Amino acid sequence: MSILQPPPAPSPAPDISVQLGPLRLAHPIVNASGTMEIIDLAEVLGPDIIQDPPVSAYVPKTITVDARSGNPAPRILETPGGLMNAIGLSGEGLEAFVAGRLQRLLELPCPLILSVGGFSLEEYVALATGLRAALAAALGDGWTAKAGLELNISCPNVHSGCVSIGSSAGETEAVVGAVRAVWPGLLVAKLTPNVTDISEIGRAAESAGADAIAAVNTFKGLVIDRRTLKPYLGNITGGLSGPAIKPLALRAVYELYESVAVPIIGMGGVVTVQDVLDFLACGSRVVAVGSAAFSEPGVGARLAGQLGEALGARRLTMESVVGIAHTAR
Amino acid sequence: MTAPEPAAQPPAGGGASQAGAPGAPCAGVTQDAFGRRSPAIVTANRPLGSLGWLTVQVPGWPGAKPGQFVMLQAVDSCCFLGRPLSVAQQDGDTISFLIAPVGTGTRKLCGLRRGDLLWVLGPLGNGFDLEALSTGPGRLVAVGGGVGAAPFPLLLSTLAASAAEGPTARPEEVLILLGFRDGSQAAGAGPIAEAAAALEAAGISCPGEVVTEDGSIGRPERITDALWRHLLPGDKLAVCGPSAMTQAVAKVCASMPGVRVWFSLEAGMACGVGSCHGCVVPLADGTNARVCREGPVFTAESLFARGAFGGGGEA
Repeated sequence: MSILQPPPAPSPAPDISVQLGPLRLAHPIVNASGTMEIIDLAEVLGPDIIQDPPVSAYVPKTITVDARSGNPAPRILETPGGLMNAIGLSGEGLEAFVAGRLQRLLELPCPLILSVGGFSLEEYVALATGLRAALAAALGDGWTAKAGLELNISCPNVHSGCVSIGSSAGETEAVVGAVRAVWPGLLVAKLTPNVTDISEIGRAAESAGADAIAAVNTFKGLVIDRRTLKPYLGNITGGLSGPAIKPLALRAVYELYESVAVPIIGMGGVVTVQDVLDFLACGSRVVAVGSAAFSEPGVGARLAGQLGEALGARRLTMESVVGIAHTAR
Repeated sequence: MTAPEPAAQPPAGGGASQAGAPGAPCAGVTQDAFGRRSPAIVTANRPLGSLGWLTVQVPGWPGAKPGQFVMLQAVDSCCFLGRPLSVAQQDGDTISFLIAPVGTGTRKLCGLRRGDLLWVLGPLGNGFDLEALSTGPGRLVAVGGGVGAAPFPLLLSTLAASAAEGPTARPEEVLILLGFRDGSQAAGAGPIAEAAAALEAAGISCPGEVVTEDGSIGRPERITDALWRHLLPGDKLAVCGPSAMTQAVAKVCASMPGVRVWFSLEAGMACGVGSCHGCVVPLADGTNARVCREGPVFTAESLFARGAFGGGGEA
């Protein structure tokens, strides 16, 4: 027998669809909240981005109860390998979102994961209740297959609520539990990495009823204005994202995977398909792209297109790759 | 809100053009998913004194309005994000940028060589309201500070082209006022002088004055001093420059009746398409506007409360 075997037939591209609670996602790539205004993109770059979104579930910018103007400028600065931002949860508020933008987003062919941010437990409950009513009115009983909720308890750029809730296991458990009581659909808790032990927060969210954990939000940081030697950002501090944080985010996902049983939406510096594989390997079932979409709006579609091939080349499937970093070397 | 990184001007844009077909100049670059970004190739890059004049070919370029911008990023770049740059000039699918090499990203762009590849996203933003600037009595005054001169070659060329086409609305006269730090930076006025000559050839008078802070070219003045000397009631201004200059120009104009002003603002941007909310500017009504989406061109009345800007649009 010849040592020269005919090359094996290329394996068919593996199925990369994933189940996230009641949501069926065509592939594991979603966007991080606050990094893709898909309606603006459609107006600037053409409507096909609405008809064929580059993500398998669309996550809008965090919705707050009241309209907020956000932090003073400057709000952003590129840093080596990353981006500092201090936007401060600017937005139109729940009522305007429901009346306007939500109706357009429901036209997307993919599910929505609505990100909400509050400054108290009561605000999170009010946001969940208001969105539940709006979704039920628009879609009827089947709405839970179309829309989920992400609790942003991790924004580093506001000075009360939000991240202060997500920095405490007890408060996280209380908020997730209270929202769980009023929200029958997918419930995601998005965690901050700016804590001593993210696993403890993840366990608290899971025990209170979260269906999935999103990790991580940005890393709190500070940049200095090179001319004045004063803090550059209007908010003084900001959150760091981009490739610079990927190893830090991978560590968080790795630790969470060993601590919780619910699916993990991993994010932090994803630009390449290798980055996606890294997050899957550490235990993410879903991977979010964030800052990379700023320079490459179609990044999600590119990564989804490359992922099947990358898995096939390694003879891996979605089922086998998720958490593979945890098996013995 | 000029970022310490260069975050040059906000203007200019590159559309979702399709490119990268085999044999095309950018065949080495894979077309972006959805064609959201277009690959482009450097056809020329030369210094203009301390500024740079970068010319790129963008197959399928849809054309920019004066004052629009693109997000520009070298394919082989140390930078994570693009940089917002005014479209300074365009000729078919070839567009040029005036760049101040003040930060990592802009230095990289100024160092590119013929044949290097870039990503272009755009054209973006609203651009100048050419009809309002061209119609009715009063001169059009183009006021540029430093690299803020960038949008004006295209503005003048566009006016010249439409004047040559026929009896369209045209300004009575176009006055160009440019302020630079020094003579080396003032070399950036070159492309404007070329475009002004074309405008003259099209029958529109186009005088101009360059001043420098150190007096090496023209009077030793700031742009606002030159504006004081020239400004007339009824003038319509197109202004581009750093934030401090914008404020100072607004004050000068507030003292003159019937002056209308359109400011093209500079801002650091991450995305250029409205996603990041990083480039906001406060408006007179207390709300914020994104420079990339609602701008980069804003009227004086939208930016400044009535008390702070007396000119208004009514005269």
